[in-house]
Amino acid sequence: MNKRFRSWSASLAVVAALGLSAGGAMARDIVWARYGDIDSLDPQRATSTLSLQVWSLIYNTLLATDKDGKPVPNMAESWSANADGTQYTFKLHDGMKCSDGTPLDANDVKYTIDRAFDAANPSVTKSSWGPIEKVEVPDPLTVKLDLSKPFVALVPFLADSFSSIICDSNKDQPGFGTTAAIGSGPWTLQSWTKGDKIVLKKNPDYVNYGKLADNKGAPYMDGLDITVVPDEQARLAALKTGEVDIAEPPPDDVPQIQKTKDLNLVVADNTGQNVFWEFAVHRPPFNDKRARLAVGYATDAAAAVQLIYGDLTSQEECPISQGTFGNDPDFCKQFRPAYDPDKAKALLKELGYGPDHPLETNMLVWTGGNRDKLAEIFQQQLADVGIDAHIQMMDIGTMNARVKQENDTKTGIGSMDMMTWSWYDPDILYSLWHSPGAYDGFTTPELDAMLDKTRVLTDPKARADAVHDVLKYLLENGVQIPLYSPGWEWVFAVRPQVTGFHVAPFVYPIFNDVKIADD
Amino acid sequence: MWRFLAGRLGMGVLTIFATTIAVTLLIHLVPGDPVQIMYAQSQGTTPEQLDTIRHSLGLDQPIYIQYFNFIGQLLHGNLGFTIRGHQPVLDVVSQRLPNTLALAGVAMAIAILVGVPIGFAAAYRQSSWLDAGLMTLSIAGVSMPGFWLGLILMMVFAVDLGWLPVSGTGPRNIVLPALTLGISNAAIVARMTRSSMIDVLQQDFVRTAEAKGLPKSVVLSRHVLRAGLLPIVTMMGLQFAFMMGGAVVVENIFAWNGVGRMAVDAIFQRDYPVIQGFILTFAVVVVVVSIVLDALYALLDPRIRRS
Repeated sequence: MNKRFRSWSASLAVVAALGLSAGGAMARDIVWARYGDIDSLDPQRATSTLSLQVWSLIYNTLLATDKDGKPVPNMAESWSANADGTQYTFKLHDGMKCSDGTPLDANDVKYTIDRAFDAANPSVTKSSWGPIEKVEVPDPLTVKLDLSKPFVALVPFLADSFSSIICDSNKDQPGFGTTAAIGSGPWTLQSWTKGDKIVLKKNPDYVNYGKLADNKGAPYMDGLDITVVPDEQARLAALKTGEVDIAEPPPDDVPQIQKTKDLNLVVADNTGQNVFWEFAVHRPPFNDKRARLAVGYATDAAAAVQLIYGDLTSQEECPISQGTFGNDPDFCKQFRPAYDPDKAKALLKELGYGPDHPLETNMLVWTGGNRDKLAEIFQQQLADVGIDAHIQMMDIGTMNARVKQENDTKTGIGSMDMMTWSWYDPDILYSLWHSPGAYDGFTTPELDAMLDKTRVLTDPKARADAVHDVLKYLLENGVQIPLYSPGWEWVFAVRPQVTGFHVAPFVYPIFNDVKIADD
Repeated sequence: MWRFLAGRLGMGVLTIFATTIAVTLLIHLVPGDPVQIMYAQSQGTTPEQLDTIRHSLGLDQPIYIQYFNFIGQLLHGNLGFTIRGHQPVLDVVSQRLPNTLALAGVAMAIAILVGVPIGFAAAYRQSSWLDAGLMTLSIAGVSMPGFWLGLILMMVFAVDLGWLPVSGTGPRNIVLPALTLGISNAAIVARMTRSSMIDVLQQDFVRTAEAKGLPKSVVLSRHVLRAGLLPIVTMMGLQFAFMMGGAVVVENIFAWNGVGRMAVDAIFQRDYPVIQGFILTFAVVVVVVSIVLDALYALLDPRIRRS
C-alpha cells in the first residue's frame, strides 16, 4: 500500500514537472513568431528583411533613425563631412563595449568596413557603402572615411542595420554568422536552431545612445525568442493561447481582432515600403506613356486598399514612401495621375482603343496578404475604362524573373505588375531606374543624369530638389505609379499583457521597452 | 533470401537515381533564380556581384553539368552546400530528418492502432450497420484535407481546450501533427484491413479451424489476424511514403522543424542543393522502409521465402 502510494505520487510529480517545464513557467522570455527564418547572422552575407530585423537586435549602428526616418547620432555622437562630400569624420562615444566584454571603438568600425570591401569575399551589400577608398583611425574614438566620389546615401545607410558594426573579436570566431555573432546591440545571441528559433538574452551592458526606445539602458525582459511559425492561422492560435507574444496576424482576421480587442494591433509607419504599378516598356502598348498614364488614371488605389485593408494602409502619392528623404505628398499630387476614369478613356481612345477593342494586358501580382482580392478590385477598375487585365498570381521569386522576361521580350500582349520595394533612402530610385535598370526596365539618358545628381549633392535642400525632379519625371511619364504604403508585414498583433512594443521606421521592431504583465 | 534482398537493393538504387534526375529537371524548369531571390531585398547588391556569386555557386553551368557535380559529390558522401547561408546540406538535412522520422513514425503507429481494429471489426461484422458506419467514417477520414484537419485539431485542443501547444518541436508538440497525419491514413488502413480480413475470413482454413471446434477468439487471433495482416505489411511501405509526403503540409501548419518544412522553404527560395538533398533523403527513406517491410513480409510468410 505504502509502496504503491509512493510510486504513484512519484509519477505524478514527474508528470507535473514535465507539464511545468513544457509550459515554460520559469523566467519568461518574449516570444516573437515570424513566417520564416533568417539567412545568416553575418550582416554582410544576406539581405532579407527577416535577417535585417534580427541584426538590428544583436548589432548596433553608427547612426540611428528618428521617428520621422531621419538619421541621428547613435554610436557616433557626432559627425561631419567636407564641403564636397568626399570625406566623413565620425566621433564615437567613449567606453562602449561589445557583448563579449571587449572594447567597442573605431577599430571595430574599420574592421567592419574593411571586411565589407575585402577583395576575395566582399559584402553582398558593398555598393551601399558607396565608393569608400580608405578608412582611417586617427584615435580610438575617431573614424575618417575617404570616398573617391560623393555618395550622400551613405549617411542614411549608416543608420540602417545593413551597416551593422561587427565587433573585431568575431574574426577569431569559427562559427561567425551561424553559431556566433558578437555585437553591441540590446540583445546577445544564445543559440540559433536553423528553421526553428533564435534565442537571445538581454545585453546587461547595453546603453541606448540614439535608438527609438524610451528605455536608455538594457531591455527590461531577460530574453527574446524569435520563432518560425509559417502558417498564419497557427500564429494567431499561438497568440490566443499565450505561447507567442507578438506575431503578424492573418489579414482576414484583423477586422475581428480590431472589434473584439482580445489582441492589440501595432501598425508600423514610415516603413519605406512602396507598392506601385510598373510596366513592360519595351513593346506596345506600354512603350507609349499614354497607355501607362491611362492605367494610372483608371486606378483608385485609395478605395481599393480601404476595402481590403481598412485603415491599416493608405494611398501613396510619391514613388518613395513616407519616412524617406524627399517624400512630399503635396508635391507628388501635382504630377501623378489621379483617379479620373474619363481621362483614362480619352487617352485610350487616342491610342485607338475603345469598347470593342480593349487594351489587353497581363497583371502580375505576388501572392499573399490578400493581394489576390486587391488585384480583382484593380482589374474591375481597369475594365471600367476598357482595359482587359488578366491577373496572374505568383510567388515573388517567380514574379521577379517574369518581370525581367517581359522586359526582354518584344512580342506578346502588354504586361504590367504590382511591384514593391522598401528602402531607407531615395537612392532606391537609382537602382530601379538608372541604366541598366532593375530587371531591364525603363531607362533614359535624361533620367540617368537626374539620378546621378541625387547621389552627390550634399546640401539637403539641393538634394531634395534633385529628388523632386526625379519624382516629377517618373510620375509625369507613368514610369512608376505609386499605389499604397505600407504593403507587407507591417501589422503586428500583440497580447494585451505585453506592453511597450513598438516598431521603428523601416519596420524594425523594438523590444527594449517591452514588459509582460502575467508573471 | 539474400538474392531477394540484393535484387530489391538494386531496384532501390535505380529508383533513387531516377527520382533525383526527374526532380533536378523539374526544379530547374520553374522560373526564378536563387541568387536573385536571395538578394532581392537589397538594392545594395549589384548585378555584377550577383553574377560573381552565381558563378561561385556553379549556377551558371548547364543543368546536366550541375547534376553530374551533384552525383560526383554524392559518391564522396558530400551533399554540397546550401545556396542560402552556405551550410553543408548533409548537416541541414540530418539535423531535421530525425524530427520528420519521429513524426511519421508516431503517425504510422496511430494509423495502425486506430485503423486495424476498425477494419477488423468492420470485416467481422460485414454488411451490418457497424460495418456501414465504420466505412462511412473512413471515407470521411480519407476525404478530409490534412491542412483543414490540422487547423481544426489545433483550434479545439490547443486554443479552446488548452491541452496541447499550438506549434513548435518537442515531445508535447508531436501529438497534434501526428494525429493529423495519422487519422487520415488510419482511414486508408481501416479499409485495406477490412478487405484483407474479408478475404481471409472466407478461406477454407478458417472454416476448418471453426469446424475443429476452436473457440472464436483463437480462430481470430491465431489464424485470421496473422493471415490478414500480411498485405497490410506491404501497404505500410507505401503508407510511410505518404506520411513523409503529408509531413510536408503538417510540418508547415504546426511549425514542426522537420525536412518537410525545409523542403517548402527551399522550393520557394530555389535552393537547388537543398531540394536535391531532400528528395534524395526522401527517396532513400522510402526505399529502405519498403525493402525492410518486404523482407519482413518474406519472413512472416513462408510461401514467399520458399519461392
